[in-house]
Amino acid sequence: MDVFAQLAHGFEVALAPLNLFLAFAGAFLGTLIGALPGIGPVNGVAILIPIAYALKLPPESALILLAGVYYGAEYGGRISSILLNVPGDAGAVITTLDGYPMAQKGKAGEALALSALSSFIGGTLAVIGLTLFAPYLAEWAIRFGPAEYFALMVFAFTTLASLAGKNPVKALIASVFGLMLATVGIDPGSGVPRFTFGELKLYDGVDFLVVAIGLFAISEVLTLMEHTFLGTATRVKVETALVSMKTFLGSLWTILRSSLIGFFIGVLPGAGASIASAVAYTTEKRLVDRDGTFGAGDPRGVAAPEAANNAASGGAMVPMLTLGVPGSGTTAVLLGALMMFNVTPGPLIFEQRPEIVWGLIASMYIGNVMLLVLNLPLVGWFARILTVPRWFLVPAIAALSFIGVYAVNNSAFDLLFMTGIGVVGYLMRKAGFPLAPVILGLVLGRLMEINLRRALAISGGDFSILYASPLSKVLWALALLSLLFPWVASLLGRRIAKDE
Amino acid sequence: MEPGSRRSDRIAGVLLLLLSVGYGLEAGRLQADFLADPLGPRAFPLLLAVSLGVFSLYLILRPDPDPAWPPAHVLGGQLGMLLSFVVYSYALAPLGFLLATTLEMAWLSRLFGAGWRTGLLGGLGLAAALYVIFVFGLGIPLPLGRWWPA
Repeated sequence: MDVFAQLAHGFEVALAPLNLFLAFAGAFLGTLIGALPGIGPVNGVAILIPIAYALKLPPESALILLAGVYYGAEYGGRISSILLNVPGDAGAVITTLDGYPMAQKGKAGEALALSALSSFIGGTLAVIGLTLFAPYLAEWAIRFGPAEYFALMVFAFTTLASLAGKNPVKALIASVFGLMLATVGIDPGSGVPRFTFGELKLYDGVDFLVVAIGLFAISEVLTLMEHTFLGTATRVKVETALVSMKTFLGSLWTILRSSLIGFFIGVLPGAGASIASAVAYTTEKRLVDRDGTFGAGDPRGVAAPEAANNAASGGAMVPMLTLGVPGSGTTAVLLGALMMFNVTPGPLIFEQRPEIVWGLIASMYIGNVMLLVLNLPLVGWFARILTVPRWFLVPAIAALSFIGVYAVNNSAFDLLFMTGIGVVGYLMRKAGFPLAPVILGLVLGRLMEINLRRALAISGGDFSILYASPLSKVLWALALLSLLFPWVASLLGRRIAKDE
Repeated sequence: MEPGSRRSDRIAGVLLLLLSVGYGLEAGRLQADFLADPLGPRAFPLLLAVSLGVFSLYLILRPDPDPAWPPAHVLGGQLGMLLSFVVYSYALAPLGFLLATTLEMAWLSRLFGAGWRTGLLGGLGLAAALYVIFVFGLGIPLPLGRWWPA
């Protein structure tokens, strides 16, 4: 397969005026959503899906917009981390460690410029990685049979379980809950309605959009009610963001290493931007922090997490596009959005719908350049957005969630259902149940069941087909290992603590 | 650790166990007229029910410490918010987007500490801006209200 010819074709798609505009809109909204503490990329993407859907955008255009929000948010998250010591989203938590001290030393402009450059390099290297790896992974994955797919999905749930929250069992419960939601509706295999209780509205299944927005946005609004006094900032002054060549070159190796770490962590199912930035930061601290300046405003401490979280969001696209198995909450939402447009990602998408995959990949090159431009000269404008008062911001998120869902279905029932799911999501957040597995379960449930049933139809009911091939054996072993991982890690941690 | 401090997870565990039993029973009643595959519509849901049952038993036996639940005044605010969501869901079609959203925004702004006047002005501004963006900019229709003469 000639990657460059395909990519050139992708650029034709991405450079169409509508798609160019949508990439810009995605980058702009993403930066905004990332910058505002309280709305992260998941909420942003979820709230925008109904708008993209109601506009009847072609699937590649919708994906370009939504993905722009996703990786754009990783750029924006750093702004409030640096200026206010309040991370704009989960991937930018680590950026506060050195970003805020730099701002206190009067180097806010330098920190913002360096982190924008790091984000750009991390993001762009990840798209290059995506371009090079994704087609080969897809080609390889075409050989997956239903048994391998079933094992792969189990593996996605177990890694998410071991990484997503403190308690793996709670993550597993969340996964099963999501899978249960996915079984509601007419069974595609036999035509029998399941768990509909005679309600005609449920025959088509639980509406993905309603669950995604309720689970993330509405529960977020309820959570923000608890922290009403967090983050309402006084006016922040930022001069132009500039960084000296010397500081930039001093951080260059850190940026490159962190991008690599971020990309590979992003590819892993279950691990996303927040884990990537933490790993990159600790690695750099060990490698280059000879004078103990990390944590006290070292520019490299800003460069590492920002390169890593942007690279991770690019890396997370790899399993979503090539295998159709997302590794994080936000990519699961993106996958669900694609399914609403009747597109099923997976290895075949590279052959059947190249305009979607390659259009998206090409738009990510363009989007990263746009983001760099947006985030260098206009950073002062985004910083001013942080002064929007909370009493306005939070109700506005709620209003947008409601209109979005209403615009698609015009149904009061859906709004009530969304509110109910929001309450469930809030209770789950409080009690330490991660939300991402629910959405992953809802998105993958049907495919998981179909693949299981197909495998057993092939074998005539013999369950050993599920672990017959070497590849499925490896996947089951990996799934088991990932489940044991947190337990082993805590055991090791305890032993190390004892030794010290 | 004082007794009762792990109650949240135990309650959640019991509720989830009930869900798994109810879901499992409902799954057990499923029957297909013809079988296209050896598993049929029942097997996967039953698998889920059993897994949830096992996990929820684990949660009951090994619960985490309770989270900090919000104090009464925050809880009141959250309830006020949820109630307004329900009212808004039903009011949107008859009252129309502009009026319903302005009132809802004013109420929510108030819950987040703004005064009535600021809230109403902010709400009106946002509702009008969203209306213009959605209806005229994006071409997505929003309800005008059944109660008003067209």
